[in-house]
Amino acid sequence: MNQWLTLLNKEILEMTRNFKWIWVPIVFILIAVMEPITAYYMPQIIDSLGNLPDGAVIELPMPSAEEVLVASLSQYNTLGLLVIILSSMGIIAGERKTGVAGLILVKPVSYTAFVTAKWAGDMLLLWISYFIGYFVSWYYVGILFDTIPFIDFIQSFFIYGLWLSFVLTITVFFNSFLKSPGAAGFLSFAAVIILIVISGTFSKWVEWSPAQLLSYASTFIMSGSNSSDVWSAIILSVFGIIMLLGGSIVIFRRRELA
Amino acid sequence: MSVVHVKNLKKDYQKHEVIKGLDFELMDKKCIALLGANGAGKTTTLQMLSGLIRPTSGEITFSGSRNGDDFRHLIGFLPQHPVFYDWMTGREFLEYAGKLSGLSKKDSKIRAQELLKLVGIEEAKNRRIGKYSGGMKQRLGIAQAIIHRPKLVILDEPVSALDPFGRREVLELMGSLKKETAILFSTHILNDAEEVCDEILFLHNGRLVESGTMEQLRDKHQQAKIDLEFKEDAAQYAGLFTDVVKVQSQTIKSNKISFFVEDIELAKIGLLKVIAERNLPLVKFEISRTSLEEVFMRVVEK
Repeated sequence: MNQWLTLLNKEILEMTRNFKWIWVPIVFILIAVMEPITAYYMPQIIDSLGNLPDGAVIELPMPSAEEVLVASLSQYNTLGLLVIILSSMGIIAGERKTGVAGLILVKPVSYTAFVTAKWAGDMLLLWISYFIGYFVSWYYVGILFDTIPFIDFIQSFFIYGLWLSFVLTITVFFNSFLKSPGAAGFLSFAAVIILIVISGTFSKWVEWSPAQLLSYASTFIMSGSNSSDVWSAIILSVFGIIMLLGGSIVIFRRRELA
Repeated sequence: MSVVHVKNLKKDYQKHEVIKGLDFELMDKKCIALLGANGAGKTTTLQMLSGLIRPTSGEITFSGSRNGDDFRHLIGFLPQHPVFYDWMTGREFLEYAGKLSGLSKKDSKIRAQELLKLVGIEEAKNRRIGKYSGGMKQRLGIAQAIIHRPKLVILDEPVSALDPFGRREVLELMGSLKKETAILFSTHILNDAEEVCDEILFLHNGRLVESGTMEQLRDKHQQAKIDLEFKEDAAQYAGLFTDVVKVQSQTIKSNKISFFVEDIELAKIGLLKVIAERNLPLVKFEISRTSLEEVFMRVVEK
């Protein structure tokens, strides 16, 4: 446990030194806050662009508060995923590539602790950044549109956060056996896109897919309640995260580090 | 007391045998050099001993543990090109290494301080490692390898990348380290081995071709050698000496003759007598011993 905390502390310190604690939350805020602000100011934006023939009147229906918050989450499903994968694609592969992993792992360091501490460090960064970003978006929606009950916000926050955690764990998994951060990032992205496309196309048959968590989180915001299918997706996501992490440890232990 | 016992160690890479069966034993508080040309298998051997790669077959047994046990707490390892976290300071890295090796927070602080002083980078302890020079990184690498007082310190080419001053200091450091632990280090520079080592393992093409203490190797392979240099072509005089000295072999190179002899005293008197009697045009007379370098070449050529 002591060793695990030492490893986790190092991850947190590293993220401080390379400013991840600053830029990742900022990017998450920007991604989420873009939605309510552009939606609110859309008429003015179109006006200022001009180029419209005199007398043309465009009636833009004001979106509802719920729709805007859902749109924020949808932004996370594209740009947010990209940021998560980009910021964690070298989590283990990077250290193996430079050789510092070899220097650390000739010490009596548990492989399980090594992998899980890295995972935990990035999870911490992810959840904190995601919370700040999503919270700011919820706040702006409240000011510019209408207040959404905090409980709905929190519930959708946790449901969708599980999907983000799943994506992060996929990246860690590819890191356990690839030596190149680029390859790990690319494969993670490919895997996530395939998951999203399959879940979108066959949504009726794969209600348990972790990629469906976005639509469950959205229903929560829109209606405040959900079908029981959400539980199968939640359970499967947690199970998937544990399996991927366990698999990463097993694979990583078998790799030769030199 | 033996620290580690290696039995029939082999390593294949894609069916290509890199290490073809090594047997040796390392003793406590001794410094052992692993010698060999580039590609002889030195690094592979050291990486197997440090647990970074797994042997294809064979046993590595540390005293007090069985083959296959995790022995990482017993060893300290410095790779050939050590890489650190560039964003850490030297002190932070040592404390981190200490804590990972099982020292308490307080102990790693004390030990890090000690070692920074010992390896001579104390004034740079609060600088980022990214700003360190090659020599400083090498010293930091040695410090992190010994922070948990391992039974065996494995150093892969610890001095090859250093300038003469750095080399001197690191070799002296190894000399003082020897009082506490066993050291196994690889090098292709024989002088370094000669300077600090008690024993030598010669590795060639994945096999141990020779091993033993310095004295044993000298006795076994070194020969007395007398060089004569003349004003003119030496070949014409070669015949004159055949009766007076028991020569094992001789080589003639333009103005020079080298005799490899068994009894140096007898040979010396005999040679000088002939030279004086005949008043040969001698310009140089030199008695020497074959260097380790030549021993090395001879062992490798076999």
